[in-house]
Amino acid sequence: MAGPSAGERLIGWYGGIAEKNLSSRPAFVRNWLMLGFQAMRGKVHLAPYGDLLPSGNHGYQLFMDFVVGALADFDNAVVTSVFTPNEIFHALGARPVTAEAVASFASGAQAEGGFIAAAEGRGIPETYCSYHRILMGMATSGVLGKPRMLASCSVACDANNLTFKTLGRFWGVPHAYVDVPYDVSRDSVLYVADELREMAHAAEDAFSRKLDEERLRQACACSERTIRELAATLPTRRGRYLANTMTIDMMEMLDLHLLLGLPECEDLAHEMQRDFLAAAPYEGVNLVWAHVSPYFLESIGELVNTSKTSQIVASDMMFEHVPTDGEAWFDASSPFEFMAERLVRSCFNGPATRRADCIEHLARETNADAVVLFCHWGCKQTAGAAQLIRRQLEGAGWPVLVLDGDACDRANCMEGQMSTRFSAFLEMVEKRKQEDKRS
Amino acid sequence: MQSGQYEHREVFYACKYTPIELLAGFGATPRIAEADVASFAYADALAHPNLCGYGKGLIERMMAADVREAVLVTCCDVVRRVYDVLRASARMDFLYLLDLPHRRGPAEVALFRRRLRALADAYAAYSGAQFDVGAACAACGTGVGRADNHVTLMGAHASASLVAEVEKGVGMPVENATCTSRHLKVSPPPQLARMAAGPACGTCCDNTGAMAAADPLDAFLDWYAPALLGQIPCMRMDDVAERDELVGERGQRGVVYHTMKFCDYYGFEYGALAEKDEIPMVKIETDGTSQSEGQLRTRLEAFGETLRARGGAAHHEEPAPATTGNSLDAAKAGTYVMGVDSGSTSTDVVIMDANRDIVATVIVPTGARAADAAARAMDEALSKAGLAAGDVAMRVSTGYGRDNIEGMDSSVTEITCHARGAHYLAPDARSVIDIGGQDSKVIHLNANGSVAGFVMNDKCAAGTGRFMEAMARVLEMDLDEFCRRGLEWRHEVRITSMCTVFAESEVVSLVAANTPTPDVIHGLDVSVARKTATLASRVGAEPPYLMTGGVAQNEGVVRALSEVLKAPVATHADSQLCGAIGAALIGLDALGKRNGEK
Repeated sequence: MAGPSAGERLIGWYGGIAEKNLSSRPAFVRNWLMLGFQAMRGKVHLAPYGDLLPSGNHGYQLFMDFVVGALADFDNAVVTSVFTPNEIFHALGARPVTAEAVASFASGAQAEGGFIAAAEGRGIPETYCSYHRILMGMATSGVLGKPRMLASCSVACDANNLTFKTLGRFWGVPHAYVDVPYDVSRDSVLYVADELREMAHAAEDAFSRKLDEERLRQACACSERTIRELAATLPTRRGRYLANTMTIDMMEMLDLHLLLGLPECEDLAHEMQRDFLAAAPYEGVNLVWAHVSPYFLESIGELVNTSKTSQIVASDMMFEHVPTDGEAWFDASSPFEFMAERLVRSCFNGPATRRADCIEHLARETNADAVVLFCHWGCKQTAGAAQLIRRQLEGAGWPVLVLDGDACDRANCMEGQMSTRFSAFLEMVEKRKQEDKRS
Repeated sequence: MQSGQYEHREVFYACKYTPIELLAGFGATPRIAEADVASFAYADALAHPNLCGYGKGLIERMMAADVREAVLVTCCDVVRRVYDVLRASARMDFLYLLDLPHRRGPAEVALFRRRLRALADAYAAYSGAQFDVGAACAACGTGVGRADNHVTLMGAHASASLVAEVEKGVGMPVENATCTSRHLKVSPPPQLARMAAGPACGTCCDNTGAMAAADPLDAFLDWYAPALLGQIPCMRMDDVAERDELVGERGQRGVVYHTMKFCDYYGFEYGALAEKDEIPMVKIETDGTSQSEGQLRTRLEAFGETLRARGGAAHHEEPAPATTGNSLDAAKAGTYVMGVDSGSTSTDVVIMDANRDIVATVIVPTGARAADAAARAMDEALSKAGLAAGDVAMRVSTGYGRDNIEGMDSSVTEITCHARGAHYLAPDARSVIDIGGQDSKVIHLNANGSVAGFVMNDKCAAGTGRFMEAMARVLEMDLDEFCRRGLEWRHEVRITSMCTVFAESEVVSLVAANTPTPDVIHGLDVSVARKTATLASRVGAEPPYLMTGGVAQNEGVVRALSEVLKAPVATHADSQLCGAIGAALIGLDALGKRNGEK
């Protein structure tokens, strides 16, 4: 494993300064981090990456614009969990920002260690999800300002119940919570729809604005079209060079949740489809990636980033539910029920078999060669399901690598071991693919 | 779920929201799945090591041959996955997952009631049993909280053996208020009982309309669903304000807070309670096995000592240490006491006279047998002091091996001894940072030197002397050289991981990248300092700081700690003897009491 690149060392220096000043000068750290975020935002606009597809750069720019914009205007922000429907906030003209996105920024700046220590100093368990520990550390150290409100749902994990409630009390701002029942049933959907109505009322109060239901309906119609277009990209991805990176894949995933309901998001989905249709053929290994990814580990990233030998073709975080024709009970004309149904049907809700079925569907649709299931530190939903998912997928013919690590805390990754396992897996899949071709 | 002949009457469960009274109404005997197992072989293979110990223990227990029926509840992510694993095993006759709403408003009660009805129908279909409302009502005992002197065990599930361990360690009765301990706050209304006793008229006798359901099962569920949801909530529920009732109740002398590795809920509540500082509290953390018992015992006994020092009446009063047979002679000849600190790395002995002057000290490596090292160290100390064994009127032991040393009059935990010893060495100190070979701890002292609070690291070696030893080995040098070279650093190096295994990997990478060794060592010193500072912040530590334990001899760590804590960290030439000095002082106190001093 080679040492860190010059860029990594520079970011390490930048993050080190943030870490060092965290306890004594949180305001400085906030400005210091924002300076770096703004610089990065400018960079992706002024000097987009030449090896990415246009939609890849566009997705990166959108992500930077929305997250940096929300952090700079935090008083008008709603901090949400990744699967919380944001159409309500878009219709209200608020700025939703996903907890995972905020934590990823800190991690991208190599400043996560200080925030994690700050959170643990307040009694947050070391075994807690690292995304949430970083967010808690950023909040309680005073580096983040105070948002207007918080909104979370029980999908995908228990941490959503704890972090948001605790931060609501810490900041003294409202927290709207949506508890998603386990079963897929109309009963469950109607219950969640009522919870979303409560969330809308809480947002109206927090922003002192009235929600325009017609605008909400339009946002949901936009979501509906976006989700369908995105689903249509799945077969298009087969055998095509997607020219993506782990970072871009994560950002596009976050875009497609954070901005779902906005025209920019729909445009991105269309652009992805256009790019994929025009993309060059791909002979390398296609992977379905399950759960989040340790995009910051160079030795892992270099195996799949804009690589001719292996690439990530789809992830279950982006496609947590792929709608099938005639399945839906509600459309955008019933916006609360439409959003509720999406939540209830998410593969991150309910039994592990639902998640395994979703990953299998993605692998089939994209004609993937193998599956990597990343067990992110502290995510019991994924860790507990890992072996069940592995067995189901291997039974259906896909090799599966269960890779343990951390998607945002460097200190928690055994990079050398992870890299060896991932490389060996890719070599195995590559060989198997060649043998299949020969036969 | 498989239907089959109804033979097994025991239904295993885990969560306190399991409707065990409803199941009792069908003739079942609900039994909590005690997950006190020695290993997690099945769970690690079928699920993942990074699940909480209770969840993994549940898998182990429920895979046993005697478990044929189980009802689980969607109380948390881990139990959902336990259900998945059990369902995939297809070995149960009846396995049911009850979805629990996590809010408790009218809509949730209605939802929960429907789900309870679905469970009742499923169990009736499986077992062929009829619902007996009388049996269900009879199972609804209402728990009454203890009013006598007791400690409350809060937090994550505690097995019966852990409850017993707490009771033994603290020395007071224990009220179990952990997540699986349940009691309904209300009793079934008399109308339900009359329904059971009277003719099956199917209608209610009163005119309030409250019991209008025609079916006894429906009538029971109308009352039962809100009652079951109305228990003092577990931390998984959305609104947990009612949990405030668990702290400060009548007769409660303190709280033992149990957290479990990879169970996140209770760490949050512990953190909030620790900040409020309303009641004496100690945190214990387990992984669901009994492997960390040594450290657990130290914490619990130290907590009991703290409660007794505050005047909390103990369940059983510790007998005052009995003096050795010839104590009267010793008093005549001049009083000597001996403190023995049996640590994981070294065994330290201090002999002190009645004026609190140290007469002799000895430090020997503990080696493989703590008792042998202690015997050797005591002999050496007596020889140095020119005393015979009979000249010592009181011997007090402390440290991990404290209960395994022969000839001791009493044993006291190292928390209490370190506090006492630190106050002797540095009377102004308000916080003691002790980093030993096996554990690190921070003790916050009152102005009079008694323990105001303490916190210890978890059972892994992160930030302890063992961690430093392992890193020195990686760099192929002895500990002295490791400490010395660390002071020669020039450039900051960040070592982020505190896990010994991960940090080793980081160190190897740094060495491969030709990073100067002193810079690497300094990076390790700073990472230990940060870890320790995090621990200190949990107990509200404040300056002046005194550092004790073997790692206090590593000047690099002391300097780094001082920088991170932004206050001077003092050490003392005798800091390694701190525990033994404290033990000797406690011996003198006991001797004074025995001789009638005030």
